[in-house]
Amino acid sequence: MSSLASASGLAPRVAGTMIRREVTPLLSSSKREVRLRVLNLYRSWYRQIPHILMDYDVPVDQDKCRAKLKEIFMANRDVKDIRAIDMLVAKGQMELRETIEVWKQKTHFMAFFRDSVQVKKTDFMSKFLDQ
Amino acid sequence: MIRPRGRMLNTVCSVAHHHFNPSSSLVLPTTTTRSLSLGQPLLQAAKQPPAVVPDNRVELFIDDKRVLCEPGTTVLQAAAMVGVEIPRFCYHDRLSIAGNCRMCLVEVEKSVKPVASCAMPVMKGMRVKTNSVATRKAREGVMEFLLMNHPLDCPICDQAGECDLQDQSMMFGNDRSRFTDIKFEGKRAVEDKNIGPLVKTIMTRCIHCTRCIRFASEVAGVDDLGTTGRGGDMQVGTYVEKLFASELSGNVIDLCPVGALTSKPYAFTARPWEIRKCETVDVMDALGSNIVVNTRGGEVMRVLPRPNEDVNEEWISDKTRFAYDGLKRQRLTLPMLKNAQGVLEPVDWEAALTGIAAKVSRVEGREIAALVGGLCDVESLVVLKDLLNRLGCETLCTEEAFPMNAAGTDVRSNYLLNTKITGVEEADLVILIGTNIRFEAPVLNARIRKAYLHNNLRVAVVGKKTDLHYEYDHVGDTIQALEQLANGEHKLSKDLAKAKKPMIIVGSSSLQDADGAAILANAIVLADKLKSGSSSGSSDHDWKVLNVLHRHAGQVGALDVGYTPGAGKIKELKPRVLYMLGADAGVVTRKDLAADAFVIYQGHHGDAGAEIADAVLPGAAYTEKSATYVNTEGRAQRANVAVTPPGMAREDWKILRALSEFIPGASLPYEKLEDVRHRMADIAPHLLRYGAVEEANYFKQSHALVHGSKRPSHSGRALAPPQTVLEDFYMTDSISRASRTMAKCIQAARHHKTTKYSVS
Amino acid sequence: MSLVDKLGNLIRAVKQNGGLFKSIRTFYFTDDLKWGTHVGTDKYGNRYFENNYYFMGRNRWVLFNDAFRLEYDGSQIPPEWHQWMHYTTDKTPIERPPVQHRWMVQHEENKTGSSKDTYYPYSTTRTKIESWMPKNLR
Repeated sequence: MSSLASASGLAPRVAGTMIRREVTPLLSSSKREVRLRVLNLYRSWYRQIPHILMDYDVPVDQDKCRAKLKEIFMANRDVKDIRAIDMLVAKGQMELRETIEVWKQKTHFMAFFRDSVQVKKTDFMSKFLDQ
Repeated sequence: MIRPRGRMLNTVCSVAHHHFNPSSSLVLPTTTTRSLSLGQPLLQAAKQPPAVVPDNRVELFIDDKRVLCEPGTTVLQAAAMVGVEIPRFCYHDRLSIAGNCRMCLVEVEKSVKPVASCAMPVMKGMRVKTNSVATRKAREGVMEFLLMNHPLDCPICDQAGECDLQDQSMMFGNDRSRFTDIKFEGKRAVEDKNIGPLVKTIMTRCIHCTRCIRFASEVAGVDDLGTTGRGGDMQVGTYVEKLFASELSGNVIDLCPVGALTSKPYAFTARPWEIRKCETVDVMDALGSNIVVNTRGGEVMRVLPRPNEDVNEEWISDKTRFAYDGLKRQRLTLPMLKNAQGVLEPVDWEAALTGIAAKVSRVEGREIAALVGGLCDVESLVVLKDLLNRLGCETLCTEEAFPMNAAGTDVRSNYLLNTKITGVEEADLVILIGTNIRFEAPVLNARIRKAYLHNNLRVAVVGKKTDLHYEYDHVGDTIQALEQLANGEHKLSKDLAKAKKPMIIVGSSSLQDADGAAILANAIVLADKLKSGSSSGSSDHDWKVLNVLHRHAGQVGALDVGYTPGAGKIKELKPRVLYMLGADAGVVTRKDLAADAFVIYQGHHGDAGAEIADAVLPGAAYTEKSATYVNTEGRAQRANVAVTPPGMAREDWKILRALSEFIPGASLPYEKLEDVRHRMADIAPHLLRYGAVEEANYFKQSHALVHGSKRPSHSGRALAPPQTVLEDFYMTDSISRASRTMAKCIQAARHHKTTKYSVS
Repeated sequence: MSLVDKLGNLIRAVKQNGGLFKSIRTFYFTDDLKWGTHVGTDKYGNRYFENNYYFMGRNRWVLFNDAFRLEYDGSQIPPEWHQWMHYTTDKTPIERPPVQHRWMVQHEENKTGSSKDTYYPYSTTRTKIESWMPKNLR
């Protein structure tokens, strides 16, 4: 993605000359537009949370869901590439649809809250003792 | 299909394809032959350039392919040179030619009858047709006769799936039989023979190829097997019901092309197509025989030999083949630590290592000692040495002793089998000193016997008279006899000095006590004498005379990485912490240690070592780890992982590495096995040159040390190897001691001694 | 059945159970209150009753030994009474005592669920690896 960074105004400098590469946008053509899309998505999720909790029998409340929603969005706060943001928004929309249509099951929804998978340690001593 | 059995041909040959295919590859003539072919004289022209060999080769055509080969080659061998496999049952390239199965019949032009290709020498201009109508008809006829007298019990036969008769009847047999039992007499049926606890016989399946008989009398050197009766009534057996008393008896199982001789312990346990194979090396003796460990579901099902011309040809000893059930019994599977009541109890790894580390950190480095047994791999030896050296401990000993005066183990040539195993085939004299080589290295003994039969090898023995299965000159029982021989005063001295390529093999079993120094010193003096005598002739100046035959697979590796042989230093030191790595010979007891000594045992079997230990760490056996072993020649070989270590057992180097983490300031930097191997390469690069022998040098210098000093005194005791009769052979280490099969063998051997059929 | 009959049954049952207080106790333990002929008592002190006034399936019953209190269980009935209870025979073991053989084991109740003596199934297959055990654990 970063090599396709022209739309965000970054261009690689090769041998002292600026090379500007034109790429076709995915959806948005400006930062303003993509910002709107992100906010839109955020709002949709935010408004759906009470309904989602009615559909799914899950051990989380609205506050927790909102906090998680914010956390997931903020995890991508450093993404600046418009095409990348577009792609993330598209994926977020897909997730939202799958959730509100109840194509997901309880565990799939709760996967948002799985803070960290227990990563198997690979250093010698952990392997030796846990094997 | 016929399984290729290692090196098919040893005659000088060159092969060119038929003239209309000139681009095909040319096999260059080879003049040096490592192995001897039976029934043919040894090539004297070794080392000469190929051009000197006069080209008296015979030209013949096999399926219109041109072959050039030495006169005396058989048609079957010539066919193999151009890649034409002729079916056979009785022919085996390591046995003499019998020519009685008739399966290898081929049509030869201008010959009226089909010819048995295994027994037919090549003749000039011969045109052999291995796939003509006449050949096929002959084969199908033979196969029909064989099957007529062979039971159709493949579904309950242990050989099914790896049976030559099955395979060849599919490839070369007719698709229907004319055999109808019109008179309902039933098929030929032969009573089964009981020939011991290892080889199961179902003699109805026998096709009379006589491979087992030829193996017994030619390779194993026991004329136990033979035939009675003629024609359809012929029976293969031991004449009377008795034990097939050979330490190589298991090899007849591999040789038998059908299921007449199968493995008793393996019977009905697994099928060849269920089995995973792992190529590895054996540790039951110091030869490092190449083996294939067959496993199913994480369990070793059987052990088979792997051909290696330089080590074991394709034979293995019965201990190698059958002691595998010892890997499943008496195993250490849980770490154990003595509790407050002084009783061993199972704990987890962390607790075990913490407990040990606490004890080890409490004492000073020089109060620690390590004792390693005979089955240790080089990786764990190196890691153990690194760990203890970091703690300031320098007392690292092996259980097996070796005389340390003069050059001791500082010079590698002092403790190796320098002429290599294949050297036996070039040698014209072997002097065995204080070794019963038949039990200490059965496969090497088979090679000596082969050279004795085909190469007029002369053998002399210093030590107790035992049956080695070949004739030898008995020099004497005692060290004095050896001394006389070394001084040239013995009545055989003059005779033996004529040898051009003499070999002296000193058994390490005779070097265990205080007299070892005298024995080795005399052997060195004798070696130099024989060498100077022989080099005055026309023989090879690089020829090494002195050889040491070790008993344990791990010994040479331990000496190579700098362990001190013998537990003498430990007994002097009376250490407060003793680390035993697979030390099960019972050399060191509690009495040799400080009163409050803490004994750690790491190994795979609960044997003498675990009995006296305060902490037990379960390690991996040779089938369970990727490990390096150096055989008695100095050949580094790698054992591979066939099954995982049982229970909570771990690979040995990992245990030591993990323990180092718990001892302050001793943490070792190895993360992966490769790191350990790099460290091994730093110590001795040859340890990673797998399959190759790192030859030793500095003979002159080390021998000068012997000549320079006074010959050590000795008690004049008799040289009696610890293993003298067959029953001594079977249990020598912690694995074979745990084996039920080996226990049965001992029982059978003992019983055999009481019968009137045993040869004492 | 008239109300009078029912009242009569209740009175008989209360009488047989030894008064109002004991009847309440029985009802508490068994959720039932019946009257009938006491046909016998087994070696564990369980009392067996029969009353063919009740229909088949309820006409034979057991009142377990009071010592069991609420810890009673069907498996506490010994086999000879079990036979009678399940209509395999109409003769009680008292009328026709069971044949005793040397090889017969003592009846034992099913201990499942109790804290000790519970049977746990175990594998009789030999393990692939036999572990070494130090002398004290062997």
